[in-house]
Amino acid sequence: MVMEKLMEDLKTQIVEQLNLQDVKPGDIGNDDPLFNEGLGLDSIDALELIVLLQQHYNIKLLNAEEGPKVFYSVRSMAEYITTHQKANP
Amino acid sequence: MYICGTGIISPQPSFGHGPFLEEMAEHRGEEMRCIEPEYKDLLDPKLIRRMSRIIRFGTAAAMDCLKEAGWNSTDAIITGTAYGCLEDTGVFLSRLVEFKEQMLTPTAFIQSTHNTIGAQIGLSLKCHSYNNTFVHRAFSFEHALLDAWMLFKEGQADNALVGAADEITGYSQAIIRRFGIYRKCESNFTLFEKGQKGTMAGEGASFFALQKQAGGKEYAKIDAIKTLLLENPAAGTMETEIQLFLSAHSVSITDLDLVLLGYNGDFSHDAALHHLASGMFEDSITSGFKQYCGEYPTSSAFALWMAANICKNNSLPSSMGGIGLEGFVRVLIYNVDLLGHHSLILVSSC
Repeated sequence: MVMEKLMEDLKTQIVEQLNLQDVKPGDIGNDDPLFNEGLGLDSIDALELIVLLQQHYNIKLLNAEEGPKVFYSVRSMAEYITTHQKANP
Repeated sequence: MYICGTGIISPQPSFGHGPFLEEMAEHRGEEMRCIEPEYKDLLDPKLIRRMSRIIRFGTAAAMDCLKEAGWNSTDAIITGTAYGCLEDTGVFLSRLVEFKEQMLTPTAFIQSTHNTIGAQIGLSLKCHSYNNTFVHRAFSFEHALLDAWMLFKEGQADNALVGAADEITGYSQAIIRRFGIYRKCESNFTLFEKGQKGTMAGEGASFFALQKQAGGKEYAKIDAIKTLLLENPAAGTMETEIQLFLSAHSVSITDLDLVLLGYNGDFSHDAALHHLASGMFEDSITSGFKQYCGEYPTSSAFALWMAANICKNNSLPSSMGGIGLEGFVRVLIYNVDLLGHHSLILVSSC
């Protein structure tokens, strides 16, 4: 339930932060790829998502190589947030 | 330099080459904002979401200009802007304060630089040729034109996309308003009512497809450009400068069909222009242009768009009386701002 709520929050935050004009939070599937064939995000959006994690969840992505895995989908982002919030409550 | 295409987004319904200023759009208050088209049909939707208003209307005006000229690319993209991308600058600086210089988002920073419009046009066209932006206050557009002129003279380009853009934002209005420059007008129709203090702020983007040589599609020609920085010039100075400018290009005042003067509605600013209109231009048709576009540093680009279309149509627009001009048409634009930036642009029909 907590995970579901986190994913819904993330969808709203992604739409707002990236100004996705024709996309509603409900249009984004939990497992849809965010980059390339999915929402079609690009490298500037990746930077915006890193800032989103910092601003909303106080999580710094220190290892850039983790990026593609963390930002693959809304679910992967939510799992990363959950893991890091447990590690640094 | 020959004009073979224009594109403009202004406070008038000027986008898309419809009827040329048939009716003047009315604006009330202290600002005249652009009438903007639906951008989804003109720009890549993926890019639109990152673009602030000035980038949207600047890029869309440039694309419309290229469309009229029938160009897919160009030898040079030259832009003039005095204020640059103010909205994103405001967003970036606000976040800088709000987040204590931490966690700054990249988009507002990337899009806040003055050369963003020129860069977006280049990216949209995949054009890697010369790309320069001039930020010279109220000479920004004129210097962009002069740059194209020099590129042509030096043989470095045969054509160039040259334009200007400036925007009104809440931030800029709040700051500039404190100088007492603006007044709340009942309507831009009455902007030039005598004895009033203050003007209306304006904004817009105008682009021109310029060619070094005539190619058959051109409809106007820029014969000469001159800029003069003169704060409170002595009586008679501008008359002399205008005479010198015209005679250097073998033009006399009687050759001018129309003089577009940069009246902005403020009595102290306009006094010298009224003096010219009733003096050296007594026998010419004179008109203002800021009743259409408002006062902003690159407003001479709007005047050039008007002049080019008057040359194209051989007549003044209906909203200016619709007077027909016989044969070869010659228009002088004289713009001046509050800081003493005087510019002269001589335009003729082809």
